[in-house]
Amino acid sequence: MIALSIAAVLAVFLLYTSIAGGGTPSVKPSELAGHQGNVSLVGQVIGRPVGDANEEGLRFRLRDVKGAARTAVPVVYRGSVPDLFAPGRDLVVEGELRNGVFVATPGTMVTKCPSKYTAIKPSAP
Amino acid sequence: MAELGRAALLVTLGLCLYACVVGSVAALTRRRRLALSARNALIAAFASTAVAAGVLAAGFLRSDFSFVYVAEHSSRSLAGLYKLSAVWGGQEGSLLLWLLILTGYAALAVWVNRNRTRDLVVWVTPVLGGIAVGFSFLLVVVATPFATQVAPADGSGLNPSLQNPYMTAHPPFLYLGYVGLAVPFAFAMGALLSGRTDERWIVATRRWTLIAWTALGIGQLLGSHWAYVEVGWGGFYAWDPVENAALMPFLAATAFLHSVMIQEKRGMLKVWNVVLVSLAFCLSIFGTFLTRSGVVNSIHSFAQSDIGAWFLAFIVIAVVFSTVMIIWRLPLLRTTTRLESLVSREAVFLYNNLLLVALCLTILWGVAWPILSEAVRGDSVVVGRPYFDFFLRIFGLPLLLLMGVGPLIAWRRASLRGLGRTFFWPAAVAVVTGVVLLLLGAGSSVPGLIAYTFSAFVLAAIGLEFVRGTRARRALSHESWPVALGSLVGRNRRRYGGYTVHVAIVLFAIGVAGASAYDSVVEGRLTKGEALTVSGYTVRYQGLTETQTDHATEVRALLRVSRNGKDLGGLEAGKNAYRIAGPDPQVSSEVGIRTNYLTGEDLFVIPGTVYEDGSVYFRIFVKPLVNLLWLAGIVFLFGSIIALWPDAREQRRLAVRYDEAGSPVRGR
Repeated sequence: MIALSIAAVLAVFLLYTSIAGGGTPSVKPSELAGHQGNVSLVGQVIGRPVGDANEEGLRFRLRDVKGAARTAVPVVYRGSVPDLFAPGRDLVVEGELRNGVFVATPGTMVTKCPSKYTAIKPSAP
Repeated sequence: MAELGRAALLVTLGLCLYACVVGSVAALTRRRRLALSARNALIAAFASTAVAAGVLAAGFLRSDFSFVYVAEHSSRSLAGLYKLSAVWGGQEGSLLLWLLILTGYAALAVWVNRNRTRDLVVWVTPVLGGIAVGFSFLLVVVATPFATQVAPADGSGLNPSLQNPYMTAHPPFLYLGYVGLAVPFAFAMGALLSGRTDERWIVATRRWTLIAWTALGIGQLLGSHWAYVEVGWGGFYAWDPVENAALMPFLAATAFLHSVMIQEKRGMLKVWNVVLVSLAFCLSIFGTFLTRSGVVNSIHSFAQSDIGAWFLAFIVIAVVFSTVMIIWRLPLLRTTTRLESLVSREAVFLYNNLLLVALCLTILWGVAWPILSEAVRGDSVVVGRPYFDFFLRIFGLPLLLLMGVGPLIAWRRASLRGLGRTFFWPAAVAVVTGVVLLLLGAGSSVPGLIAYTFSAFVLAAIGLEFVRGTRARRALSHESWPVALGSLVGRNRRRYGGYTVHVAIVLFAIGVAGASAYDSVVEGRLTKGEALTVSGYTVRYQGLTETQTDHATEVRALLRVSRNGKDLGGLEAGKNAYRIAGPDPQVSSEVGIRTNYLTGEDLFVIPGTVYEDGSVYFRIFVKPLVNLLWLAGIVFLFGSIIALWPDAREQRRLAVRYDEAGSPVRGR
């Protein structure tokens, strides 16, 4: 009985992975260059964003949240922008690298709360 | 003051250590007076934790910024209620609240059971003491809330998005749930340690599990509602690791609440039950680990610290301990009863359990996958919404259907003819509902249509149960319908409380399907006088206002809503810019929601960008039936209270079954 149900669950699982494929690789800006296709980019916003996310696209640069890597990837994003989007904030956005620019899938931007359960401190850079 | 808090925590650690070590010795050597002393130590640990919590709360209320923790999470201008809720606004305070709830539960559990199940309780004391040692150790050594400094002029304040009644209630409810699972776990371990593996540990902890489970459910729903009205992206659940962290123990506890009934009624599933309760407890610690360690990317990034490693150690200890105990006592957990038929109530309970655990484990897999894939392949892979949605449908929809089947099917063995008779009406209602919805165009989402058809089936089945029961009651007592219904529920609180909770789950499923499968959206930039139209609603933008309050600049777009030419009044949506420390104000969108209380539908307006020229970019959703989610919460609480309510008849029944000292009078 139990063996049968485990087998059934595994079958469902295989079915899923074969239909929908695995997940999306989660990468840092410094690692982005080696990745083809759709990835989930985690980084920190640096500099002033320009453009309009509702029209031709919001342009900003992302770099690694931690570590010494100085690589800053230019990102162009369309769709809804979370309230917490601002220079210095950490965010996650999906998309792919095209000609050196990370073209984000519309509406995939998620900002991380600035330490939701701690006090607000001025963002560093 | 801080010294008093530190001392109180040190005393708590000592008392918990005493309860754990001396309690174990007492249980091993069967020394009754020593066991009583260990129990009293555990009760005293609650008192000393309460002192520590009182000191911290007083620090907040007096705005004593010589407490580093107070200075970091409060400010003079913070409103009174939020000063109190800021106590659990950070990691150290959260841990302290956790310990307070744990020792509170522990003290109450050993006290309530002092004259019952004595042979079991002597082992419950050291287990609960051991868990409390873990938390008090963290508070004393790793993350003390009582660090002091030279008091600054003012504190840095509480995050504006947390200054919300929901955020005051949401964390304590979750903790009541998480921590509450420690009680059934401790009793299960107590049963294994003492070798008394009959169903008494289940009888003794039924209400504890139910309280913890209810709190966990309500806590999550409060969080969802907060996300819906406050965060304002138009959803209420994002499959974020931290949200999943609370969902997993809830699912495991749901499975446990069902499977214990099989052990009580038929003496089966003994091993399964101890496994489930251990799983639920370990998952609640895992949840804390996830939220506190920052090993996975979450939109809730809490203060990150090395405390994650301690929790990892805690999980390893809990998993190893419970596994060893279960394997050691396997011979005692053998059951003589076997499953007689695959079509019986026991079997349906078993299917329900397998589906719930499968859902729980696939979520666990999804949460752990980024960590595992990074460890194995050196490349972190995240699974997103499609993964979780897929498994929610695959396992959730059959679960929904089983909720209608379970209550109607006979114990032991159900005959096919009996099944036909029992299920004729619910099935008929379901088919008619399905066809009508299909004609109305609900076929646009197949999972949605299936969900609604199953929901109709379950509601009809539960309705039928209430009608049948009330009719039988009337035939016996000749009472009026409402009185008969009342006494029916009053005499079978667990059963009808359970059905009421099922109704809540169905309402929830309808709400989720309505909001996610049948919603509509339109977006665009409007200048003054222009309008957007969606699902029959016309939303006209009439202009901007700006007001200055003490803490923020509030910009509001004034909207006029009409539906099919009929004016429905005004609606506001805008942004608040909170003045905080730092170069930029913190902006928070204030969504405009217009609820139709008759149909449960929401018109949901998100103000995107406010442009210099006064035009605004709007994103407008229409979410049918979404308010059933919140209604479900109320029904859920109501049903749980029915099932929890003390029952004198049940107590007498139990008293007959077990003698004073708590030994079973008759073996089963």
